[in-house]
Amino acid sequence: MNGDAPLSAARPASARIAAFAGYLREYGYTLGVAETADLLQSAEWLSAAPPRLVRHAWRSLVCRHPSEWAQWDDLYARFWHPERVKGTVKVTGRTVARRDLRAAVADLQESLSGASSAPTPDAAARPSSGSLDTPDASPAASDSLGAAMGGASRVDPLHDRSQTMWWPDDLTQLQLLARQIARAFRPLRTRRFVPHPHADRLDVRGTLRRSTADGGALLQPVWRTHRRVTPSLWLFVDVSRSMEAHAALYLRVARAFVREADARVFVFHTQITEVTALLRRDSGRIQEKINAVTAGFGGGTRIADCLNTFARGEGRSALRRGARLWILSDGYDTGEPSDLTAALQGLRRAGSQVVWFHPTRTTALSTALSGARRLIDVMLPLASLQDLQAAAPRLR
Amino acid sequence: MAALAATATPGDLKAALANAGYVADESLASAVWLSRALGRPLLLEGDAGVGKTALALAVAEASGARLIRLQCFDGLDLAQASYEWNYGRQLMAIRLSEADGTRLRAEDLYTRDYLLERPLLQALSQDGPCVLLIDEVDRADEAFEAYLLEALAEYQVTVPELGTIRARQIPQVFLTSNGTRDLSDALRRRCLYHWLDYPTLEREIAIVTARVPQADQQLVVDAVQFLQRLRRQDLVKTPGVAETLDWIRALHQLHHTTLPDDLLALLSTLGCVLKTREDRFKVGLEEVRQLCETQAPAGVAEALSSSLR
Repeated sequence: MNGDAPLSAARPASARIAAFAGYLREYGYTLGVAETADLLQSAEWLSAAPPRLVRHAWRSLVCRHPSEWAQWDDLYARFWHPERVKGTVKVTGRTVARRDLRAAVADLQESLSGASSAPTPDAAARPSSGSLDTPDASPAASDSLGAAMGGASRVDPLHDRSQTMWWPDDLTQLQLLARQIARAFRPLRTRRFVPHPHADRLDVRGTLRRSTADGGALLQPVWRTHRRVTPSLWLFVDVSRSMEAHAALYLRVARAFVREADARVFVFHTQITEVTALLRRDSGRIQEKINAVTAGFGGGTRIADCLNTFARGEGRSALRRGARLWILSDGYDTGEPSDLTAALQGLRRAGSQVVWFHPTRTTALSTALSGARRLIDVMLPLASLQDLQAAAPRLR
Repeated sequence: MAALAATATPGDLKAALANAGYVADESLASAVWLSRALGRPLLLEGDAGVGKTALALAVAEASGARLIRLQCFDGLDLAQASYEWNYGRQLMAIRLSEADGTRLRAEDLYTRDYLLERPLLQALSQDGPCVLLIDEVDRADEAFEAYLLEALAEYQVTVPELGTIRARQIPQVFLTSNGTRDLSDALRRRCLYHWLDYPTLEREIAIVTARVPQADQQLVVDAVQFLQRLRRQDLVKTPGVAETLDWIRALHQLHHTTLPDDLLALLSTLGCVLKTREDRFKVGLEEVRQLCETQAPAGVAEALSSSLR
């Protein structure tokens, strides 16, 4: 085999492939013994073919989801051709924490105890999900992390970036949380029926059809029940100047719900635009889009106008009874305060439930929001993953 | 068309698919090849209109196999997917036996003669090569997905009255999904997987040239470039290859040899590719003008123009 071939290492090919399978497992791929055997088998079949065909074939064999599919080329190159991988960040010090049982246990305890417990020096050295669980890094908190010790600190560059620094673990945690919340949505009963063996309503047509097997005798009743559907979820993210610091978190939250609850997401400042399609794709383009949307709009937010625009457009045809409308904003509206009340009334007319997330600890005090408070079902603070976790029971 | 040999390589498969009018890239050809070699189903995911169903049709044509299609929908059950007893025929047999005075046992009524074979069972009962297409599996219920596990893992169907029916020849199975709901991990584990993305510019031109050979080549290049740029817009429904083919057929029918200079005329044909009210509203005259004016990426345009010459 030539030097490019993936199986050309000094170690036996089977050992290298088994190591590769183990490497993939570390990244969340579900490979059992059967899959590893298939990897070996296909490599043998394709031993005379160009190595890239092995890469393509293995990709189909190993990947199960679009996210794994997208990650494949990078992982393959890192394992088989690390010398070709350029431009990566080399990390020194503590790495691959998950391989260390003690570190994994420490991480687990840290995530369970949340931000309330004082971080250990070890945890401070590597900003883990705990850094995001802290809503806002206050000066006191940054002191406790040991920042600015004579100008030399291991955490100083990170402590004030809690909203922008995201680690893969944080994204996974957010995704799981979004899944948990989405699954807890109470299903809505529709007027349509579906067969169900334990229902209490007789399906006359189905029963007659089945009775033909028994010569017309009604021996096997068919039961049916109302079809239940998951309520639709609509997110409105304020990306105006006043929300600049929180937009990154809110958009990541929105993206998680797009993936887990098939939510539709709109961003607004003085205008409103839908970004659902972008959130389904890669993250780099989302940031570009948001930058483009937020740039040059220092004039403030027109929440009411934007909600009215939505209600006249997509909302008119798509809003149904029980729809969940989540507005993620500080509530500061440059329009007339009464306009927001009217806009929310319009949205609630279709039977929607309105949840308002605000980035501050206490409820936002804007005049517009105070006036419209009675039209909002739930007001919740959202400045960290911990807040979202705490809000989960109220988002059913 | 000659049937594809069982020993065919991914390259042979790619060429055979091209002969059948399907332009597959190396990655897709490898996935189909491995699926054939391992005898495992291939799960194809991707946006609507990128060629998932067309792949199964092309593989059937390329391999000279019979195509059996199971279109999934909400409420699909065993009787519609796998088998159903022919109750009418059973009743008639009972009446006839009563009239003749012959004795009919219960076992006589539960034989293959009284079994109505639906797509799954049909595919397993084939003697010759067969391609089974389980289309839009995400539209079926979770319960049906669970039933598929036995059929796809063991290539067998269990009929309680008859026993287990095993496949005489393992069919090549394709499952397609548009991602309207997440499929279970159990089903995914039993399948090979391929994500079909929108084609690159060169591949899409090759696809259109193969499928609509009568269209002018300059029209094909211009229209595909336009659509590639259109896909980068924030559309509710991104146009797929199927829409590209429809649009170019429409432009050809209107006797265009290039994209029309009249933007209003061009806009009036965009109904072939923009399928939602929001998208029609979003892509107005100004957007069409910008899309037409944007230059092709450097290098690609030169390669295309040289290929045209």
